[in-house]
Amino acid sequence: MKKIAIIGFGCAGYHAAREVRRLDPKAVIDVYSDTETAAYNPMLTTYYVKGAIPYQAMFPFGAPQEAAGRLGLNLFPNRAVTGLKPEERALCFGDGTQQVYDGILISTGASAVVPPLPGLDLPGVFKMRTVEDAVSFKAALDGGTIRRALVIGASWVGIKAVEDLVLRGIACTLADGAERVFSTAVFPETARRIERGLEARGVSVACGQMLDHVERAADGALAAVMQSGRRFEADAVAVCLGVRTNTGFLKDCGIAVNRGVLTDCHMQTNYEGIYAAGDCCEAADIQTNAPRNIGLWHNAARQGTVAGSNMAGDVREFGANLLVNLGHYLGYSFVSMGDLTACRPEDEVLISEDSRFYLCAVRGGRSAQMHQRDRDAGVQRSHQERFYQVHRKSWGGAGSPDRLLAAAAGVSCELYQLFRRETA
Amino acid sequence: MKHVFVFDPDKCCACSACMMGCMDQNDTDLSGGGRCYRQTFDSEIERDGGVYCAYLSAACMHCADAPCIDACPVGCLSKDPETGFTVYDNTNCIGCKSCALACPFGAPRYRRDGGKMVKCDGCNIRVKNGLQPACVRACSFGALTCMTEEDYAADGSGKACSALIDALTLRRK
Repeated sequence: MKKIAIIGFGCAGYHAAREVRRLDPKAVIDVYSDTETAAYNPMLTTYYVKGAIPYQAMFPFGAPQEAAGRLGLNLFPNRAVTGLKPEERALCFGDGTQQVYDGILISTGASAVVPPLPGLDLPGVFKMRTVEDAVSFKAALDGGTIRRALVIGASWVGIKAVEDLVLRGIACTLADGAERVFSTAVFPETARRIERGLEARGVSVACGQMLDHVERAADGALAAVMQSGRRFEADAVAVCLGVRTNTGFLKDCGIAVNRGVLTDCHMQTNYEGIYAAGDCCEAADIQTNAPRNIGLWHNAARQGTVAGSNMAGDVREFGANLLVNLGHYLGYSFVSMGDLTACRPEDEVLISEDSRFYLCAVRGGRSAQMHQRDRDAGVQRSHQERFYQVHRKSWGGAGSPDRLLAAAAGVSCELYQLFRRETA
Repeated sequence: MKHVFVFDPDKCCACSACMMGCMDQNDTDLSGGGRCYRQTFDSEIERDGGVYCAYLSAACMHCADAPCIDACPVGCLSKDPETGFTVYDNTNCIGCKSCALACPFGAPRYRRDGGKMVKCDGCNIRVKNGLQPACVRACSFGALTCMTEEDYAADGSGKACSALIDALTLRRK
């Protein structure tokens, strides 16, 4: 009888457990979690704050005990794994005990980055990652005492926080350390379009502002002081500076860790029988052929399933790891595939625009971008634009499935053909 | 009992009767920006001095390992264990379009009115009650059929949904 351990019960952990159970009804599956909160999708926290979904909808797999019962798992909530002995395939715990397994999955996810700057622990400073973060942010906004807010970090979470504020009529500033918003994710022209769109909705955008510290202003409000000396006063500050993989407990144990736990195509680490999946790992990126940490719900589900399958003895490979961004805010949609930073300066950027779409593509098969807007939408929707970045590989395939996809997205046939010609 | 859609490209002329059946069944609101779950394609392509044509009727393929199910962050999509169709409950849909992005065929649609995803569910409720899907019922030429996996395996005609791929290869007019 196989003994499997799963560390972390998020999306990847759940899918791995489900796959092991599907393939091996007799396997013993022990699931360790450092919390008793059910598996949730961090992406949904801002939607909860917005009021788009009820609290329970953040937990797609239901209560942990319910999921454990369904899949026949031994669930150990609030039992953090503090170390790993890879040669022995043993988990170590804070009380000094150890447990040996046939297969181990590291699926510990990632946490919000909070830099060690003074003032970030003041009341009124929020981070946006966990369910608890969302609950406290929502309560603060619903309280009605917040008149102006500052969002630090033009991340995809940051822009959702901006939306949460704007929809409540709270004056909002978005500050970012880079020269433009989403500096590594979108073309400069797209960034300018995003900035213009935000400003049209009354959001003030302040780029090139690195946070120095947060302090309490004389009137009791918060003041974020930037390295430039500029001060932003606000009743609430949301810190959305990205995430860091939860791999601290693996330090010096021998498991290869870069930004995340390094894995091969089977989601196996550098030790046989020890796997990693989800936001905590790095898998091969099909665009660059190098390992890369891409924290996406879909990736976590697929990687967890592959790891589970391999732990149960049914060999499978994880096929595609590609940077994909989906952002929806204030009537805008942004979709991107591929990574702009993999583009070279000499790559030619092709741009095509009609009444509904604005397309950018990089010749050479590295990356492509499409931006769509609705001209016929009238005044109320005049700011509704959709941005698409499309990696050429996904666009220029055998033909009709792409065309169906294009049709579903509302791309006109002529434009699609134009795009195909230009990127062929 | 799992069901499969079977498409015979030799019998399809892209007349779009299947679309009419689909829109009627699902009360698709075209004037409100809605789009039919099923689409027909009539492509004529000039190449090498000849004209080639391909007729196609396509909707959700109800993939065995459907990527849209994993992609949905809220868990709206699932497999009906009885019919094998990819079904959905969009109560908690946040309109993020992750499903449409994951789908190789772009089957999930975004309904502007309400801001939620909708898609072909194989007329699950009809099939569960012993009826044919609306598109199949509307097809006058027998190009589109729906049968159980067992019947399909016993049929032996080899006309799987994957015959769609054949439909995409060019045939001389």
